[in-house]
Amino acid sequence: MKVLKEAIAGTLESSDLLVKVAPSEKETLDIVIKSEVIKQFGKQIRRVVTETLGKLSVSAGSIVIEDKGALDCVIQARVQAAVLRGCGSEDIDWRRLS
Amino acid sequence: MSATRDFYIIQPKDSPPEMAEVRKLLTTNDLELDDEIEQFVVCRREGRIVACAGLDHYTIKCVAVSEDRRGESLSLQLGSEVVKLAAERGQYHLFLYSAPRNLPFFRGWGFYPLIEVPRLVVMMENSPVAIKIYCDRLRKQRRQGRQIGAIVLNANPFTLGHRYLVEQAAAACDWLHVFVVKEDASLFSYDARFALVAAGVEHIGHLTLHAGSDYIISRATFPGYFLKEKTIIDHSWAAIDLLLFRQYIAPALGITHRYVGTEPFDPVTNHYNADMKHLLQQTPSAAPPITVLEVPRASINGTPISATEVRRLLTRRDFTRIKQLVPDATFQFLENECPRVPQTAE
Repeated sequence: MKVLKEAIAGTLESSDLLVKVAPSEKETLDIVIKSEVIKQFGKQIRRVVTETLGKLSVSAGSIVIEDKGALDCVIQARVQAAVLRGCGSEDIDWRRLS
Repeated sequence: MSATRDFYIIQPKDSPPEMAEVRKLLTTNDLELDDEIEQFVVCRREGRIVACAGLDHYTIKCVAVSEDRRGESLSLQLGSEVVKLAAERGQYHLFLYSAPRNLPFFRGWGFYPLIEVPRLVVMMENSPVAIKIYCDRLRKQRRQGRQIGAIVLNANPFTLGHRYLVEQAAAACDWLHVFVVKEDASLFSYDARFALVAAGVEHIGHLTLHAGSDYIISRATFPGYFLKEKTIIDHSWAAIDLLLFRQYIAPALGITHRYVGTEPFDPVTNHYNADMKHLLQQTPSAAPPITVLEVPRASINGTPISATEVRRLLTRRDFTRIKQLVPDATFQFLENECPRVPQTAE
């Protein structure tokens, strides 16, 4: 699955995150994570993001994350929502995402 | 989420009473209402508007939070709402202007500083990487040489004057980079303008024609440029556009010289040229200075050729005179398109 159009999910509020996805020019998967808690939880956030993208089989796209200290399950949900919007997916296998 | 319910969107034209409130909130925060704003996100609490943020195409403007409502995360809700509104309008790459002291506030909105005019204004964009990706792409088109020139054209439409400017610059440079203004705010569409420039510079070998971008004479970098035929503006506000060019675009391509035509008719462009000399050559900066060269405009029968004049002749369908001012490709395009061209320019 590739990100085909720009899309966002989430908010900038505390304990949430804003996920922005866009097509990547060179067909690469580029992930940029900005977080208020990057020093404490940067690795963990990246792991959750990478795993979520992996479950969705996202192979290409630019993913930018503005995290405001969200829990893992929130990160997962927001990344899923943004990617599915950006891929224009209609048929979603929700079980694969859990 | 009950907290988001008190946020809603207003169109300045349709809501005079609410705009009076918005204007009051802005005034209390030393801000002026910007007439170009198409939509406002406002927050109403206990009967009054306590926060607002405006959207002019893809630039966020006129952001204010009532002083007694600060420190309760209202601003982050406001930021989320305005980013969401822009996304609903199909705009994802956003810019904003802020007083430098408010920079940390907008960092919380996921905006990153691009250019600062010290003590005056900072321009930010909502991506930590977009400008870098853009410059990396430019860097691939870098050419070696002692004198590397650049010209930015709106070419609305491409005239013999533009062609003369490009030829003069090309003759003096080892390589020439030409940019076409991307914004679709002119009489002729970007695609049409770009195609006519491409046809008009085809005969020059050592030249790269670049697509325009949000970073080079766009509504975000230089809003005054697109208002010039609508209203009289007393300052062109070109500083941001020129500093972006000097600090990002020119270093990426190794540009040493920027060429402009002298501007006898249009006060905005004229002022832009004056600002250019100052900001590209003299203003202290980490980026190397760029020499600005003004090329006298090509004339026909003593009258300088300008696109403004071509558009004026077009409203009268004076093709005899237009033919003297534009290359063949432009002339053919105008003849074909003219019946569909509206009578009022821009």
